[in-house]
Amino acid sequence: MWWTRRRSTDPLTRDLEAAIGADSVEGGASARLLYSRDGSIIRGGKAGVVCLPGSTEQVAACVRIARAHGRAFVPRGAGTGLTGGAVPCDDPVVIATTRMDRILEVDVDRRIAWVEPGVVNLDLTSHLAGTGLHFAPDPSSQQACSIGGNVANNSGGPHCLLYGVTSVHVTAVEVVLPDGEVVVLGEEEGDAVGYDLRGAFVGGEGTLGIATRIAVRLTPDPPEVRTLLLDFTTIEEAAETVSAVIAAGIVPAALELMDQQVVQAVEPFADAGYPLDAAAVLIVELDGLPAGAAREAESVAAVARECGARTVRIAEDEEERARIWKGRKGAFGAIANIKPSYYLHDTVIPRTRLAEVVTGVNAIAERHGLIVMNVFHAGDGNLHPLLVFDHREPGVMDHVFAAGEEIVRLSLEVGGVLSGEHGIGLEKRRFMPLLFSPEDLAAQRALRDAFDPDGVANPHKVLPSGASCGDVQDLPEIPEGVWV
Amino acid sequence: MTGSSSPRTGGVLDLRDDALASCVACGLCLPHCPTYRVTGDERRSPRGRIALMRAVDEGATAPDAEWLEAMDTCILCRGCETACPSAVPFGELMSDTRAAVTRTRQVPLRLRVGLAVLVRPRLLRGLSRILALLQRLHLLPGRLPLPGRLPMRDPRQKGRVGGEVVLFTGCVMDAWQPEVHAAVEEVLEACGATVSRSGDAAGCCGALHAHAGLEGAARSLAERVMAAIPEQVPVLVDSAGCGATLRGYGSLVGTPEAAAFSARVQDVHEWLAADIDRMPAATVGKRSTVIVQDPCHLRHAQGCHGSVRTVLAPYADTVELDDEGLCCGAGGAFSVLQPELASEVRLRKTASIRRAMATTGAEAVVSANPGCAIHLAAAGHVVRHPLEVVAERIRGKQGGAHGR
Amino acid sequence: MRGIEDFRDEVGPTGPVCVRGGGTRWELGGTPAHGSREVRAPAGVVAFDPAEMTVVVGAGTPLGELVEVLAGHGQEVALEGPAGATVGGVLAVGRSSLRRLRVGAVRDALLQADCVGADGSLFKAGGPTVKNVTGYDLCRLLVGSLGTLGLIGQVILRTWPSPERTLWMQGSGTPEAVRNLCYRPSSVLWDGRRVSVCLEGYGEDVEAEAAALGSHLGLEVVATAPTLPPHRSRWTGRLAEGSLLEVGTGVVHGPVEEPAPEPGPGVAALAARIRSGFDPGGRLNPGRDPYRIAA
Repeated sequence: MWWTRRRSTDPLTRDLEAAIGADSVEGGASARLLYSRDGSIIRGGKAGVVCLPGSTEQVAACVRIARAHGRAFVPRGAGTGLTGGAVPCDDPVVIATTRMDRILEVDVDRRIAWVEPGVVNLDLTSHLAGTGLHFAPDPSSQQACSIGGNVANNSGGPHCLLYGVTSVHVTAVEVVLPDGEVVVLGEEEGDAVGYDLRGAFVGGEGTLGIATRIAVRLTPDPPEVRTLLLDFTTIEEAAETVSAVIAAGIVPAALELMDQQVVQAVEPFADAGYPLDAAAVLIVELDGLPAGAAREAESVAAVARECGARTVRIAEDEEERARIWKGRKGAFGAIANIKPSYYLHDTVIPRTRLAEVVTGVNAIAERHGLIVMNVFHAGDGNLHPLLVFDHREPGVMDHVFAAGEEIVRLSLEVGGVLSGEHGIGLEKRRFMPLLFSPEDLAAQRALRDAFDPDGVANPHKVLPSGASCGDVQDLPEIPEGVWV
Repeated sequence: MTGSSSPRTGGVLDLRDDALASCVACGLCLPHCPTYRVTGDERRSPRGRIALMRAVDEGATAPDAEWLEAMDTCILCRGCETACPSAVPFGELMSDTRAAVTRTRQVPLRLRVGLAVLVRPRLLRGLSRILALLQRLHLLPGRLPLPGRLPMRDPRQKGRVGGEVVLFTGCVMDAWQPEVHAAVEEVLEACGATVSRSGDAAGCCGALHAHAGLEGAARSLAERVMAAIPEQVPVLVDSAGCGATLRGYGSLVGTPEAAAFSARVQDVHEWLAADIDRMPAATVGKRSTVIVQDPCHLRHAQGCHGSVRTVLAPYADTVELDDEGLCCGAGGAFSVLQPELASEVRLRKTASIRRAMATTGAEAVVSANPGCAIHLAAAGHVVRHPLEVVAERIRGKQGGAHGR
Repeated sequence: MRGIEDFRDEVGPTGPVCVRGGGTRWELGGTPAHGSREVRAPAGVVAFDPAEMTVVVGAGTPLGELVEVLAGHGQEVALEGPAGATVGGVLAVGRSSLRRLRVGAVRDALLQADCVGADGSLFKAGGPTVKNVTGYDLCRLLVGSLGTLGLIGQVILRTWPSPERTLWMQGSGTPEAVRNLCYRPSSVLWDGRRVSVCLEGYGEDVEAEAAALGSHLGLEVVATAPTLPPHRSRWTGRLAEGSLLEVGTGVVHGPVEEPAPEPGPGVAALAARIRSGFDPGGRLNPGRDPYRIAA
């Protein structure tokens, strides 16, 4: 390649270079600094040497060499994760799959594609243009995140309300196990023979091995899409509408809520015509065959009016629809312009309790003197309370962390869970015992140990352990902001 | 230093504090960065480069060879700025970083020689004629970043003075692609405008000097350009790279006069698109299909790439590329300084062009920037300036293509 | 009503146990080893909130009973089994519904499972919400595990609105031709010549697609789903006489019993580690093995 290098004197680096080429092994200070972080606010990670393999065989070689040198390894995709899942602890070998970015095969008839893990989520859908098919999981980072990362985190997105999260769309996966062995888990179509090891692997956050080839199910584009914008004078009415829509037997393709502060922040650049005086707006998308989509749109409109919706707007054309979504998808960029720092949480609660929990979250923020903004996947109860602040104010961080923990506890109190799509990583492992008993955690440990008996794959993540992750604090010193 | 007067870090690079702090490391820029796309390496990404700037600025890391390589491999296409939800001024950060670097590091000799030639129009034309001769004699390697057929004759045309608009003619483009200026002038005149040329008095815009971090040189070139164009008329530019630079004089020079000058600068397509009705109807030739390549300095730096389509619409059918405006790898002197990386980046662009050709049958690419045109032509594509295509349809004679 | 704690006490900490549901597929994957104590999971719908679209139900509940409760509110689950099958049994076997293309795989229906582990203590997999990535996905691992990793006592399932209209059609044609005419049919079965299609959804939509299938392919409406041949195997690319392919699910229903495919050595070793990790003494459903099921 284009840069020349000296031969490394470090035996681990030398072995890695011999196996996958010097151009694919980086041990310099700059590389180690950058690969010590991901998209999260967590700092203090410490990468050993960084590998950028180009094939399954090279990934397996990296894993085996790391082990031979008594080192752990940390898999990494695009590094857009929000819970520190790719933050390395204690000098491990970082194995980034970004160079494995080929779409290997698209079978339009059987609606299956084989991709390498470094393929960017949105690139697959772009590649499918004209086939009438798309890849359904659409996390808000979809323009940057990789499908390998989606597999590791079992990623969601607005449209997984109807279509299901990543696990539903991954049918088989080739994995380099933590001992360097290569296996294929799952089947291209249908249920697994034997244990659903594919299902267990997806969402493993890189602690069960490294996905090197992935078979994904492709979803037909809906013939009809109706996008509704509903606005409310209280956030409670909006939340009640969410429950009422589900209770009416309608599962929209997407059902998103934005509160007033978010609406006011995004309207100037989205030009979507969001009512600025509304306490909350809902974006409801209904798709499918024409008659059903039309009837569901009518039902949603009626339910919303009954719940107190002030106006119900149906996007007239694709351009109007795009503008409505532009505001939702750009929400976090706009927020970054209000305050320099923000900290985003991700919990799920029963969707019948949205109103009371959102009220509770707002009260928590107020008590701590923080601004909270709500923009989230309301349809499946997936909250994303966003604490907005200026980290330069003295003492504000204590309030941010305290409020964050209170939000987590409130979510659990009403029967919720710790994460809907961002995962546990380093960020939330200390909360795991709040949701799971020691026996529950032992069962999860049994799964992990079966995949990784020696604990070399992405250690310190997901499950709480006595050990700390090198210099990483449980929570970071200076959050620099995150997005969803 | 560029940028507004908000507080600076006071660190090793002395960057603007707010600019540096505005990156939240979300990574949305990654796929929009051409060098990250082809390397998959965080050090070749905007997010990575900003983190590295911060580390050096704070003194946490030394600006060693690895670090410098990370900065040198940035094409400065600013595709990341368009993608960034937090509006991080990446171009400003990178320019300031390079300026800080050149205060302690010599600019490579071949670049210094090249830049010295650019600001001497007569020398540039003389050398160009020698190159043209060598080219005719097939004594030049085929893959040099040069137009397919350099002009032999002195391409200068006596510029009118007192025109309603000034056409900025620059350096390399004036010497190597005079037919583009001629076509642009023809189109402008067909629209009823009288055109003056900036000519040798204005000379080079200083884009490459600024890219290289030679801030002082860039600033004095800016002064020269502004002094040479005192008229209070629109300054039209047919090279996206020069246009972006001229528009940045306000912040580069930092005076109200410079800001006023920058405000008068328009890309020629933007000016034409603003009053499309005055453009004459196509009278000759056949309506062709052309693939539109957006120069980064039009799309990301000036945000007026839509105008190219507006202006072409009456004369040709346009085809879009499917790579969301990813840089072609030309990047001013980038293709000379980082030839291998530039070629890798170009591979993605040429693959996209081939897909567009295969599905639409289009054969020519249009690009509103000479650097992109030369870089793509060197890969075997037929590349033309959009206004050459327009000029041909209103006069009916073949304009020169840069391809082979 | 017997609760989950009673089930735990019944299982106890020692001795081989096998859990019995409806006994409808008792020999699948091997019969329980001799001397195993038979236990039964608690039965009954514990809680159903239609507005939440989740239901809490004892694993020993007959599936028919659950279906009836849900139907009262216009909802359904992705579980399907022979008459008399229990909720836990259907989950343990892990075979998806014939209408899988609409309702989803059975493995995607299980949100939370309260299980008795090999040491006799209760453990919980998953959580009560419809979306959840908190920790490892043990639920999907439990589905289809034949009770070898834990004995499912009580579960929370995701429910869906029932279709307004269901229509089966049949006639000569190919799956490709059907796919070109229908958006998302609930089921497409093919015997190499004839195709059966299940259309579900809103009445007008179903009728419009049925009309298209009728006029373009000559398919005719039939009263029920076709009768399936008794044995299942995995689709290998060819269809034997008398077999029916479930298009898009990789399952072939055939007249002859086919052997289960051998897992590769790496997968077999991993599966063995998982089983021994959850059940070191081999006391949970000894004699049964999910890898002995052909499909």
